[in-house]
Amino acid sequence: MLLDFDRLGGLKWVLVGIGILVSAFLLLPILFTVALSFGSSQWLLFPPPGWTLRWYEELWADPRWITSTLTSLQCAVLVTLLATGLGLLASFGLVRGRFAGRETVRALFLMPMIMPVIVVAVALYAFFLRIGLGGTLIGFVLAHTVIALPLAITSISNALERFDKAIEDAAILCGASPWEARLRVTIPAIRDGLFGAAVFSFLTSWDEVVIAIFMASPTLQTLPVHIWGTLRQDLTPVVAAASSLLLLFTLAVMLLAAWFRRRST
Amino acid sequence: MSSISIPNRRNAAARPPPVPSSGVSFVLPALLLILAVFILPVVMLLLRSVTEPDPGLQNYRELFESATVARVFVNTFVVSGLVTAIALLIGFPIAWLLVILPKRWADLLFGIVILSMWTNLLARTYAWMVLLQRTGIINKTLMGLGLIDTPLPLVNNLVGVTIGMTYIMLPFIVLPLVTTMRAIEPDLLRAAALCGAGRWEAFRRVLLPLSLPGIAAGGLLTFVMSLGYFVTPSLLGGAGNMMAAELIAQLVQSLLNWGLGGATAFALLVLTLALYAVQLRLLQRGRSQRGG
Repeated sequence: MLLDFDRLGGLKWVLVGIGILVSAFLLLPILFTVALSFGSSQWLLFPPPGWTLRWYEELWADPRWITSTLTSLQCAVLVTLLATGLGLLASFGLVRGRFAGRETVRALFLMPMIMPVIVVAVALYAFFLRIGLGGTLIGFVLAHTVIALPLAITSISNALERFDKAIEDAAILCGASPWEARLRVTIPAIRDGLFGAAVFSFLTSWDEVVIAIFMASPTLQTLPVHIWGTLRQDLTPVVAAASSLLLLFTLAVMLLAAWFRRRST
Repeated sequence: MSSISIPNRRNAAARPPPVPSSGVSFVLPALLLILAVFILPVVMLLLRSVTEPDPGLQNYRELFESATVARVFVNTFVVSGLVTAIALLIGFPIAWLLVILPKRWADLLFGIVILSMWTNLLARTYAWMVLLQRTGIINKTLMGLGLIDTPLPLVNNLVGVTIGMTYIMLPFIVLPLVTTMRAIEPDLLRAAALCGAGRWEAFRRVLLPLSLPGIAAGGLLTFVMSLGYFVTPSLLGGAGNMMAAELIAQLVQSLLNWGLGGATAFALLVLTLALYAVQLRLLQRGRSQRGG
């Protein structure tokens, strides 16, 4: 009865009330930011005295927003390719392979996920300065790939474990070479896992702040680094405009993921 | 050794010949990347804590004796504990609702949780900076309602950090809890009712204990993640309540004290790994109990 919504009695309305309040808590900051991005008040008064597109125009006119967005995109796409590719190979090794120390390797791959990001950021900052990768795109891509890899490997490994290897063997019996069988039978069968890995990797890099703050140079910044720098100076509504555009982007990725999931089932 | 292996040899021959190490080459590229761009830099950072400025353990002595470091770690624990407790209190009813609501409403609520989780971290923190500031909508509303006369200090202090981080951590409580609660057999609660248990008793003696693995998993995850959090505390917190991650950043970036910075990083790392080990132990115990 406590797990049957229709038989909760009065408790039902208490729970629904909490649900509405928490939904408001989760949604209001987001909606509020979108509203302020169209508000005419420099001081973020609410409700705004008028409506304007000025902050979006300022955003568009400032080349630093554009270049940092392009850097972020470039970095996230490279991280997606690298993390998904390496993750696919590693998953084959972890799921199918039989070698000593496999569990240790598996644990090692998951380490970057449980390590406090600040420790990774500071360690890579010192390391990349020493080997001359500080403030370079390669530095950003390598660092973000390391923290995207655990999610990519988990997603692909799970898909690979659900896939019956007998189907791949059957393809080989029918005359396919092992690589042909993997490419044309196994990989299409685990495409959900691959897609998940790609989305996770992209978002990991796209949203990453802490490592990027340490890695950035005055000439090479990702979008989060630029937002961070702006926020430390003042709470300009231009950040609200940037946040709203990022929200739109997140919604698009979520809808794409939902559409993909529906199509594949 | 040899006396054991000889009688076994015949059995071994009957099985398909084992391939001693297949699959290593597949793992190798990712493994090299992790070793070179993760393990090596972290080890180098930790080594600096015992080599800079002089070889020895003086950085660790400073770590334990410094009043500043002690205050930062106490504050880190206070914030993480508060955030975990509040997120659990709010997250439990949400997870419960997600399990029992009719599908359409559950999907909507789930969508809201996921949307907030996937919204850019800085965008969410910015929203709270604006909402909580002295002239922000929350202070304006409270003053308009006549509840307060002067704006409450809601940002650059413990209140701001706690609100901002609870907002960010909520999904990490809700998602594991939903998994646990979905696995609870509704018949158990029906049985409790048949045996004469009231709602409160059924909640306290059936639903809550059965949800405990999810509460422990989500709570520990949130606590550990909060311990090392950097972005939200730096933007919503004040100088008076610095957290461990901010201390590390300040030590290496502003003070260039890599020795003490490395030692603080090591302390944070040990705490984090120890708590994850506890979680792993809890998970394994839960699994073996269910199996036996």
